[in-house]
Formats: sequence, C-alpha cells, structure tokens
Amino acid sequence: MCFKNLPIEFDAQGNAQLIGGVANPYAYTPRQIKRDKLEELLARNGHIKDVSISPVTRVAGALSFHAVADLQERKFLEANSVATIFRGYEVILKGRDPRDAIYISSRACGVCGGVHSTAACEAIEMAFGISPPPLGTVLRNLALALDFLYDHPLHLFLLAGPDYSQVVVEATSPAMWEKAQVTEAPNAEVHQFKTIGDIMKGLNPLSGKLYLDGLKMTRTPREAYSVLFGKYPHPQTVVPGGMSSTVTITDFNETLTRLQKMMDWTKRMILLWDDLTEFFYGFNPEYKKVGARDKNMIDLGMWDDPDSYDATYARCNEWGEARWATPGVVIDGNLVTTKLQQINLGLEEFVEHSYYENWNQNGVRFKTDPSGAPLSPNHPWNKETMPKPSKESWKDRYTWSTAPRWDRQVVEAGAYARIWTTAAAGLMPKNDFLESTGHSLKIHMPKTMLREMDFEWKIPEVWNAFERNRARAYCMGYNLMVGYTMVLKAFDYLRKGEDKVSTHFEVPKGERIGVGFWGAGRGYLSHHLTLDKGAITNYQIVTPSTFNASPKDPFGNAGPYEEAVLNTPILEDYSRPEDFTGVDMLRAIRSFDPCMPCTTHIYGGEREIVREVNTCACSAEG
Amino acid sequence: MGEIPEKHVGEAGSPKQHTSETASLPDQVGNVGRRTMEELVEDICASQGKTQLSLGPLEKVYVFWLAGMSCDGCTVSVTGATEPALEDLLTGSIPGVPLVILHHYVLQLEAGDHYMQSLLKAEQGKLDGPYVIAYEGSIPDENLTAGGEPFAGEGSLPLWAPSTERRRVSTAEWVKRLAPGAAAMIAVGTCATWGGIPAAYGNITGSMSVMDWLGADYRSALGLPVINIPGCAPVGDNFTDAVQAILLFLQGLGPLPEFDELGRPAWQFSETVHRHCVRAGYYEEGVFAKEFGDKECLVEIGCWGPVVQCNITEKGAVGHQGGCMNAGGPCIGCTMPGFPDKFSPFYKSPPGSLFSSNASRLLGSIVRPLRRISQRERNREIRWHETVPSGWAMEKGDTSLTHKILEFFYEAMQFQGAKRPEKQPAKKFPPGHQSLPDRVYDGDYQVLPEEREKKAEKRA
Ligand code: SF4
Ligand code: SF4
Repeated sequence: MCFKNLPIEFDAQGNAQLIGGVANPYAYTPRQIKRDKLEELLARNGHIKDVSISPVTRVAGALSFHAVADLQERKFLEANSVATIFRGYEVILKGRDPRDAIYISSRACGVCGGVHSTAACEAIEMAFGISPPPLGTVLRNLALALDFLYDHPLHLFLLAGPDYSQVVVEATSPAMWEKAQVTEAPNAEVHQFKTIGDIMKGLNPLSGKLYLDGLKMTRTPREAYSVLFGKYPHPQTVVPGGMSSTVTITDFNETLTRLQKMMDWTKRMILLWDDLTEFFYGFNPEYKKVGARDKNMIDLGMWDDPDSYDATYARCNEWGEARWATPGVVIDGNLVTTKLQQINLGLEEFVEHSYYENWNQNGVRFKTDPSGAPLSPNHPWNKETMPKPSKESWKDRYTWSTAPRWDRQVVEAGAYARIWTTAAAGLMPKNDFLESTGHSLKIHMPKTMLREMDFEWKIPEVWNAFERNRARAYCMGYNLMVGYTMVLKAFDYLRKGEDKVSTHFEVPKGERIGVGFWGAGRGYLSHHLTLDKGAITNYQIVTPSTFNASPKDPFGNAGPYEEAVLNTPILEDYSRPEDFTGVDMLRAIRSFDPCMPCTTHIYGGEREIVREVNTCACSAEG
Repeated sequence: MGEIPEKHVGEAGSPKQHTSETASLPDQVGNVGRRTMEELVEDICASQGKTQLSLGPLEKVYVFWLAGMSCDGCTVSVTGATEPALEDLLTGSIPGVPLVILHHYVLQLEAGDHYMQSLLKAEQGKLDGPYVIAYEGSIPDENLTAGGEPFAGEGSLPLWAPSTERRRVSTAEWVKRLAPGAAAMIAVGTCATWGGIPAAYGNITGSMSVMDWLGADYRSALGLPVINIPGCAPVGDNFTDAVQAILLFLQGLGPLPEFDELGRPAWQFSETVHRHCVRAGYYEEGVFAKEFGDKECLVEIGCWGPVVQCNITEKGAVGHQGGCMNAGGPCIGCTMPGFPDKFSPFYKSPPGSLFSSNASRLLGSIVRPLRRISQRERNREIRWHETVPSGWAMEKGDTSLTHKILEFFYEAMQFQGAKRPEKQPAKKFPPGHQSLPDRVYDGDYQVLPEEREKKAEKRA
C-alpha cells in the first residue's frame, strides 16, 4: 500500500479504488502562513537578516531566493524559492497539430536539450497507438545518455564546482583552506590531484584545470550527440514512432571514440567527489546538515527496454519496471513503489502560494485515469489555471512555480533520485556493466587508456548537498555505461538486420489521451496530452524543478529548496553581519542543480480562465 | 588542443590581495568569493603579467548577457562553441582580441546584488571599457503584468534593500536602461532575433523580438542597429565567431564584417542550408527519403532547407560535428523569422517542394542512368577490360558494342581541347617471365611457411 495520505486503496488484484464512505475524498483546508513573530524579530534585531538573492547565479534560468537568517544562532528562520519567469507554452501548443508538440515543447528547456522532445514523443506515441522499432528505442536511449553526460559535468564543474573552489573556500573559511592544502586526497593515485587543496584550486573558475577540463568535456558528448542526432540542444531527429537519424557504422564509431574519452575522464572524476565530500565531513561534521532534507524522492525512470516498451498506458507498470532506470518513489528512505501508474495517481499540484487561483471550482475533467483508477482533481490532467498576477508576498503568493506533491508529501527530483530508485529496486536489466543490488549501484568500467575500474554508489546514510553532488558524479559513470550498452545493442540490431528506426503513423482524428513518463538531466519529467479532431486540446508538463523549486503547499510544508535551506547551518566565517555571504545556503540550493526555464505557467489576461500546461525542464510555469 | 602545463595558465591567487570596491559595499550576501568574477578574471590575467603588446585600441569589452523568455538553449550552445571557444575569449587568450568580460548568470561566481551591481555601473557609464548586450529569449509585453510580477525578471531594485522594499525588475527594463549606451546590441537565438516560439500563434505574453521591441530607429552607441544571430538554438560558434569578427574589426585588424538586411552576419547566413547540404546531390538527382531514417533528401518528409538561411550543414553543430540533415533531421527553419508558424506542421513536406522536387525527379530520371554508366566506367582501371581482379564480387568489364561507342564519344568529349595521354597497349609479361624475388627465392616466397620448409628440405 503505497499511499498514506490519499484516499486510495488497492483490491486483491492490485486495482486502485477510492476508499469508500468519504464524502469529499480529496478535500483539504489550506493552512495560513503566520509571519508576525518573524517580522517582529526582523524589526528588533540586528543579527536577524533579511537575505535576498536576486538572481541566484550558476543555475540555469531565472531563480531568486529569499531567506531570513539568524546570524547569531547561525540558522535560517524562513526560506522562499521564487521562479521569476513565465512563458505560456501550453497555450501556444493548444489547437495545434500534435506532431508540433515535439519541437515546440522541446523549446521549454534548452539545458537538457532533447528530453522534452522525447517525453512529448512518448506521450504522442501513447495517444497515436504506435511505438518505435527496437533500434529507434535504442537510439533514443543513447541520445538521453549523451545528453546527461554533458549535463552532469556542467553542473559539477561549472555551476556547483566553484562553491568548493579555492576562491570561495579561502574567502569564506580560511581555516578550511589551510587544512585542505595539507590534506592528502585519498584517491590521488586515480585522479592525480595530490591534496584537497589541489582539487579546490582545480575548481577555480576560468583558471582551474578541473573547471576548464569540465567545460571541454561537456562538448565531447555533445559532439557525439550532434553526429547521431544533428544538433544540441533541440535536435530535429525526434519523431513520433522513433527517430529520424540515418545511422552508419561511422556514426557509431565516432560515438564510441567519444564515449571512450569520457570513460577515461569519468574514472578519474568520480572518486574526486568522494574525496571532496569526505574532507568536508571530516573538517566539520556539521557540513552533513548543509542542504539536508528527508529522504523523499520521486523518479519516473527512463531508457526503455526495446523489447518491452509499447507506449501503452495499460502496460506502463511492466515496461516501466523494465527500464534501465527504474521508476520509483522513496519516502523516508524506503522505496514505496516502482509502478508508473501509482506514481501518476499520487501526483497533485497546488497553487495556494503561486500566482494562480485554485481551479477546482470548474469541476473535474477526469475522475479516473485511462485504466479506471481514481484521479485527484488536483492532478495535472485536471488542472486549469486562473492566473492571478500579484505582488510578491511571503505570506501569500510569491512565485510562478506551482507546488507538485506526491501523496501530499514533499518529494525531490534529480539525477540522484534516478540512481537511488534504480539501486534500491534491484530491477536493472542484466548486463555486464551495471548492477543494482538493492542498496547500491555497481558500475563496472572496462579498460580504456586507464585500467578497468569498478565503482559502487551506495545509498547514503545522510541526505544533503554533498550527497547530491556525489551521486551526480556517480551518475556520470551510470549514464556512460548505459550509453555504451546502447551502442552495443545498436550494433546487435544492425547485425541482425533490424535497421529500421521509425514507424509509419497517421494523426488520429478521435479523442485521445497520452502521457510521456520520462526523465530530464535533473530527473522526473512528465508530459500530459489530450487530442481531439487531430489537434491538441490540452498539454501539460511537470518538470523536476517544478518539484524542487516549489513554494509551500497548503499543508504548510516548504518546497525542497526551501526545506534544504531551513535545515542548513551557517558555517562560513564572518566577524560582522555584513560579511555574511550565504555560501552554505547557496551550496544547498545549487546541489539540486536548479533549472528554471521549464517551470512554466500561462497567463490568460484578466479574469480569463485558461487551461494550464506546465512546461519545462525545470520548474516555474511558463 | 594540446595540454598546457597548468602553471602557465593564470592563477586566481588569494582574495586578500584584492582591493576592490566590493569590499566597501554594504554587505557581502551572494559574494561568495569576496570578489566578483570580473575581479577574478583581472587577477588571473595579472598573474600572467601584463600584456606587452597592445594590438589595438581596446583592452577589454564587457558583455552583459540578459535573458527574457528563453529556454537557456542559446547559453548552452555558446558554452559548446570552439571556434573560438568561450574560455579563450573570457581569458583574453586570443592574440589581438580584447579580453571579453562576460557577465552571465549561468557562469558568474557571485550572485544577487553583487551580480546586478555591474549592470547599474554600465548604465551610469562607470565601467572602464565599452559594453555589449547579448540578449537571449524574446521580450514579453510587461504592460500585461502591470501591478504584478513581471513575466521575465532579473534582479530586484533597489540593491541592498530588504526584500519587502524591493521590486523585481523585468529584463525588458534592463534593455531599456542599457541599450542606449551599449556599443552593440546582439540578439542571440531565434526568440531574441525574431520572436520565436514564445511569439508564435497563441502568444499570450505579448512576446516579441529585440528588434520589434526597440524599433527600426534604434542605434547603439557605435551607431549599429540590432545584430541578429538566429537559430533555435543557434550554432554556438556563430555567436563567438561574430563577436570575434566584430572585435577584430574594431581593433583595426580584421576586415569589415558585413550584415544582411535583417542584421544577420552575412558570411554566416547568406546561403541557404540546402546549398551546402550533404543530401543536396540526392535532391538534384530526384531521389527522396520516404521514411524517417532514410539516407536520401528529406524534402518530402518535411525539410525546408531550400528556402532556409542557415550554415549548420557546413559548420556543424558542436565542434564541427553533426548538422540537422547530416544526421537525418529535416530542416524546420529554426533560424528564420517565420519560425515556427510558417514551417508547421512539422514533418509535412513544404508546399513549394511539390513543384521543385517533382522537377528534379523528372530531370533525375534522365540524368541518373547516364551518370550510373559513366560512374561504372570510372570504377574501372584503364587496364581492366574483360576481367576485374577483385575477389569481392563477380565484377566484369564491359566490352559490348554499345558500351564501346558510348565510351568513345565520352572520352572524345572528355579530352576535347586538352592533351590526351597516349594510350599504350597493356604490357603483358612474356611467358616464363621471372620477377626479381622469383629469381632470388626460387618462386618460394609466395608459398606458406610450412610448404617453404618442405621445399627447402627437398632441395637440401
Ligand atoms: S535534405 Fe533538405 S536541405 Fe538537404 S537536400 Fe534535401 S531539401 Fe535540401
Ligand atoms: S538546418 Fe534548419 S532546423 Fe537545422 S538549425 Fe538550420 S534552420 Fe534550424
């Protein structure tokens, strides 16, 4: 039984139904935010500081953050995450030919350049009743593995990395910098950085070797991506029912060359993040609390098994569990489901603290999902938005992002959620390079220029900013071996003569519904689509950063960025309140790899009610 | 690119050495390195010693990157650029090109007010060098949000005020503040150049391009209208290449960069993508892909290449690799002002191709067989007449009369007005001929080693 808050139970056959005898099963009373005490504190005390970071840099897109810090007690009293962009893509999609959804929704986010097109494609395939030939699926998987191989290094070395560089550490904790220079890096033999100080120097923006190599290495997978899929971001090769790549032996050889380069580099980089993490923990165990949150996370899995994936909703649990990344929800560190349908049923979006009015007064559009299971009126499929552009108020509404929740609990999305659910589920297809043990993910990397190496990402005991980054480093190895396996699979299909990459399709004229359950570099990504008379009637996107950047929900729970900041102790050095930089809080926020372009909502003009669609990779509405 | 020993690359040094104005600002929130990226770059360059030779009037140029209704795809593209590479521009590593100080929210060391501070300095004319604006994304009509939060905001003013006393500033407002003083205004990507997807049918945010927003009369401080580098997302190299071309010109080193009537760098965008397409030969011969994944010309499954100005097929997407049609993706016109509405529904063949592709089909049906004949003959060595010494297939020469006649006329045309090398009868070795190795090794050198041993034994 995976739900503890939603009124859903399962019968002996595992079919979901509403718990009987509840009059208004999904009703709730929103809790008000009280701020009076805080305002009083702010007015009275010099050491209580109103911290406004606008914009938060080194994240993708437009994010602002507000917090109230107690600089004497060294803790945060309030935290607000603010998405400052809104684009209205869902309206642009409405009424269009469904084929256009792939390329238009792709433009929701250019940071993970091909994830939206693929999610849109899967939604369309479900609606059209088609599915790709095996090589088409394999190519798609390869595209997404390459996508993340650029994305994770970008985050680790260019966005988050500088926060752990000499430049920042020396400025915010001179004692730590002193110690780092004389602390030998345990894995120096592998990564070639003798001391932790050398690693920190390597992370210096624009002069450090790790920074500059990291930037160059983001190009290597993008080159392979361009060879196979044309361009990055926004490839023009994702089509309903497959891919439109013309593949040749040379394309795969060129990809292999680049994967090999990535392997050599990744082997060195994974343990570097281990060393950095352990150094911080050793220097001051309080760092384990930076960015800490409950171990609650969500992922839809990705990388379909070409033999299982048939794009039907009815069989989504089966093909979902056959994926190379297993779908799942983790609550308090326990994996509570791996079924795509249950993940979908538990999803709700709330807007009490966003610039929208609640939409429930307009009646419920879908009472059940396509399989007849009960669906919340707050599910994205049922969502309609009454935009309410208003002034920012920490008590009331303060962001363009909504608050998606699962079973009314705050869950976070990310590459780390993907590796976590996959490691915990033990359902990874059998292969030579990756093994899910139920408590860890083993990664075997074959000999390249560097020797053969084994890595194991273990589900961590603590959950915080450092663990997010560390997991992301291991994800590079994970993605790499998925990518390599897909090249081998592609060869296999070509040897068997199964070289078709797409399927014929017609745009259906009747009413159809589809969902794309997929993943972005930052995790969870779903596209929800309804069609009628050959045109889109509703299109919605829920993105990982919509989860992570969400504001408070009506039950009084803060969104993941906010919660992570509230749990962060202030550890940096400062003698005067004016010298406070907020680096610990920024480390906490950046560890999520925020990506705001896709947080999307629509604005319909005064009083006009528009059906909402949530776009992006990432989280505000737009 | 070879490996440079790390010690020769500049060093960041320690923060204490820096005496900058950031220290005197009211607080340090967001300034995690206690120096801004700009100051850091100065430190890095200073650690390498002063440049001895100044190759032009400019030492450094500031680039302020602003984003409106964007997906960050243009930013991502630019991080992929290698010709020149971003890091080379940002560290002043290209001789003759001034140091580019990029002010970009995705890359900046500092956050918040310390980050926004430079924009105000630029507006007040307090920078120690000229500045350029690179704008990504379209500009929404912020009149629609009057009284509420802007659709696209960046930073809030006044700086250093408590959050309740600030107002979020739209990127449109930053354009208004900064455009008049900018040396150049560069719109990056299709959203910024023409409006793009946010401005497509159903546009409820009133989105438009930078040109639309500033109007045709806009001129930068150097007298330039808006420069447009389109593409959704653009080829990253097109941006860095254009920036470098402009800077080299301003240094008095490079030739005048030309722009077309829509402000595009002419050297990048004057040709249609079809002209350099790797599949253009198929079009010419009238052979077309029927399914996605086919290797022929993509026009009948939705390619608009023949009317689209773009250089991706010859330039490649990242590191000279790829390109839409190179990989198999039909061109959907993402660099064009009409994108997306004038090219959708995607995957449907453009109406114009009905005429042109059928015309090439007709012509192709004549040209193709003729070419195949000449091609087949060009696949033969001049000595191969009846037999072809290939073990791969039952290849035969052609000695039929028709073939001989065709070849005769073809060659007559081929060498018309040119000297024809004299035809020599193929040399045949006389029977019993022995080559040098034959003589030395007694003909054994071609046999397998065991055989050779046996033979040697026999001889002994
Ligand atoms: S694929 Fe497109 S650009 Fe290439 S030849 Fe055909 S029509 Fe021209
Ligand atoms: S070829 Fe067409 S779709 Fe591809 S980048 Fe150029 S204009 Fe865009």
